[in-house]
Amino acid sequence: MTHHFRRGLDIVIGGAPAQSVMPGNAVENVAVFGGDHRDMRTEVLVAEGDGVARGDPVFRDRKRPEVVIVAPAAGRVETIEIGPKRRLSVLRIRREGAAARELTPPTVPTRDSIAELVQRCGLWPSLIVRPFGRIPTPGTAPNAIFVTAMETDPLAADARVVVAARRSYFQVGLRALRLLSDGPVFVCQGPGPALAETEGKFRIERFAGAHPAGLPGTHIDRLHPHERGGTVWQIHAQDVIALGSVMTEGVLPETRIVALGGPGLNNPRLVEAPEGASLDDLVRDELRGGQMRVISGSPLSGREASHLRRGHHQVSVLPRSQPRLPGRRWWPRHAAALRPAPVVPTLALGRALGPDLPVVPLIRALSVGDVETADRLGCRALLEEDLALATYAAGGSKDFGALLRQALDTLEEQP
Amino acid sequence: MIRGLWTPDTVGWLLVAAGLPAAVALWFDQGVDGVLRLVLCLAVVAAWQILFRVNLGVAPAPASAITALAVAVVAPIEVQLWQIALAVSFGAVIGELIFGGWGRNFLSPGVVALAFLSLSMPNAAFVASGANVAWAVLPGALVMLLTGILPVSVLAAYGAALGLASMALGLEITLLAASGTLAFAAVFLVADPVAAAATPVGRWVQGALAGALTVLLMTGTSVPQAAVFAVLLAGLFAPLVDQGAIAAHLARRRARNGRA
Repeated sequence: MTHHFRRGLDIVIGGAPAQSVMPGNAVENVAVFGGDHRDMRTEVLVAEGDGVARGDPVFRDRKRPEVVIVAPAAGRVETIEIGPKRRLSVLRIRREGAAARELTPPTVPTRDSIAELVQRCGLWPSLIVRPFGRIPTPGTAPNAIFVTAMETDPLAADARVVVAARRSYFQVGLRALRLLSDGPVFVCQGPGPALAETEGKFRIERFAGAHPAGLPGTHIDRLHPHERGGTVWQIHAQDVIALGSVMTEGVLPETRIVALGGPGLNNPRLVEAPEGASLDDLVRDELRGGQMRVISGSPLSGREASHLRRGHHQVSVLPRSQPRLPGRRWWPRHAAALRPAPVVPTLALGRALGPDLPVVPLIRALSVGDVETADRLGCRALLEEDLALATYAAGGSKDFGALLRQALDTLEEQP
Repeated sequence: MIRGLWTPDTVGWLLVAAGLPAAVALWFDQGVDGVLRLVLCLAVVAAWQILFRVNLGVAPAPASAITALAVAVVAPIEVQLWQIALAVSFGAVIGELIFGGWGRNFLSPGVVALAFLSLSMPNAAFVASGANVAWAVLPGALVMLLTGILPVSVLAAYGAALGLASMALGLEITLLAASGTLAFAAVFLVADPVAAAATPVGRWVQGALAGALTVLLMTGTSVPQAAVFAVLLAGLFAPLVDQGAIAAHLARRRARNGRA
C-alpha cells in the first residue's frame, strides 16, 4: 500500500551524493561511544592494548549482561575513556587484520534462538523501542517491528541502492526478525518495486512525500499509532542486512554503506565503511577549501563528531559559518537576552512533523517544559529525530529534540 | 545541525518590512502629523523595550514596531499625544512585555493599545482609512503569505466572514470605504502569527469570528472601533478555540486508532 505524506519540507542542500557505491578512503580507526547508548550502564570487557576481532564484545550492560556492544572492526584497542558515573565515554580501535568472530546461526530458528543470536552478534542495540526510544529488554516482544528501508533526510543514501547491493541478506534478515515480533513486520520503503518478497507476517508499505516521510516516526504513526498502546520496535535496513549476514555467513558484514554528501566535498558519493569509522579517515583529501564541519548523520539531526555514530549511515560536510564576535554588534548582543527565543508558528513549522499531532501546541508545551500537556498531545509518539525538522523550521533557536528527551525521561519515570 | 531561516528575529524583521509601505501611506493620508505620531509611538515602544531589557532581561523584538504602527494608522486624529503615548505604553507592556516579550504574548499588543484608547476616549471619533493604506498593505501581505509567515486560513476566513456578514446586513458600502483599516487589521492584527490560533481548524474559526464580529459591531460604532474590538474578542477566544480544536483532533485520532 502507498501512503502519501502531504506535509513535510523539501530541504535543498548542495552536494547530494551520487547514488552508487564507489571506492572510498581506507579507514584506519573506528570507535564506539558509550554516549550512543544512554540507557546502558556500561561494563567494559576489554583492556587497552587487547586485540579484538570484528564482532567481539567490547562492552555490555551491567543490568542486562545479554546486551553487548561489539567491535565494529578487527584491530587493537587503542584507548578507553571512562566518563562521569563510570560510564564508558569512548573506546577507540586501530584496525589490524580482518579477523571476525563467527557465530553459529540456530538450525531451528525460534524466537528465543534468534533473540539470543541477535544479542550475541551485537545487533540488539540497533533495535529501538517506542515509546521512549530505548534498547528493548531481552525477553520481551513488540506488537510490531518497523524496518526503515527509505531515507528522506537531505544528502542520505538511497535505500534502494543500499538494499539492492545485499538483497539476499535483507530477505534473510527479515525472515529472522519476523520471529521476534508478536505482530506484523512492516518494511517501509519509498515508491517503486518492492525491496523484499512478502512472506507471512511482513508487509511492504510505501511512503511517498517530502521529508520527514522517511522517518520511522511517520511510518509508525500511520500504521501503529501510539493510541493503540503496546510497544513497537524500529530497525534500520542496514541492520537487517547485517542480521542477514550473521544468519547466512555467521559473521557481521565488514562494512556498511555510508553516504558522503554536502557542499564541502569534492566528490559526494556512497562508500563502504565500517560502523564507527573515523570521519577524518573517511573524508581525508576529499574536502574543498575553507572551514568545514564534518557531521555524523543528516544535516538536520546529526552532530559534529570524530567518528560515525551509532545508527548513522551518512556523513554531511557543511561549510562552517564564521562565529559572530561577541560584543562587536549592539543588536545581536541585546536580542540574545536572558531567555531562549520564543516559538513563532510559521507555515514551515506547521508542516515539519511526521506524525499527525498538533504541532505548534506540542512544541509550545515542550518549550515551556509542560510535560503533562505534551503527553496529552501525543509526545510519546515521537523521538528526537522526529523533531529535527521542526528545530530547523523554527530557526534552530531551541533544540526541540533535547526538550522532548527531557519530557520523555520524566514520563518514563512516572508509574 | 543546520538552521532554517525563520528565526523569531527574521520573522519580526519581515513583519516590520511589510509594515513600511503602510507607514508611507500614513504620510500620504495624514501628512507630517501622521509621521510624527508614528515616531512618537516608536519612541515609546523602544523606551519600554529598553527598560524591560535592562531590568528584566526580556529580549527586544523588532516586531514590536508593529504595535506603534497599528496605533499610528488606526487611532483617531484628534487624540492628544500624551494619550497616544499612554495607549502605546499599555499595549506594549500589558499586551506583550509582561509575558516575556514578543512571541509569548497571546493578544496582539497593537489591539490591546487600540482597545485601551477606544475605551478611555469614548468621544474621540475613529476615522477609517481608505484605499491608500489597503494598497500599501498588499505587497507586504503577499510576501508574508508566500513565505508562510501569515496564516492563510485566518486571512481567508476573516475575508470571507466580512464579505458574507456585510452582504447579509447590507453594509458593503461602509466596508469598502474602510478598506484601508480593515486590510491593515486583517494583516497585522488578526493574522498576527503569534497571537492567532495555533491549530489549523482554530485558525479558520478565529478568522471567521473576527470577521463576523467586525460586521456585527459595525452596526453600532465606527468601523475601526468595530474592527479593534472584534479582533480583541476573537483573540481572547483563540486559546479556547484551540483547546476545542485540539480536543476534537485527539478524539478523532482516538476514534480512528482506538486500542486494538
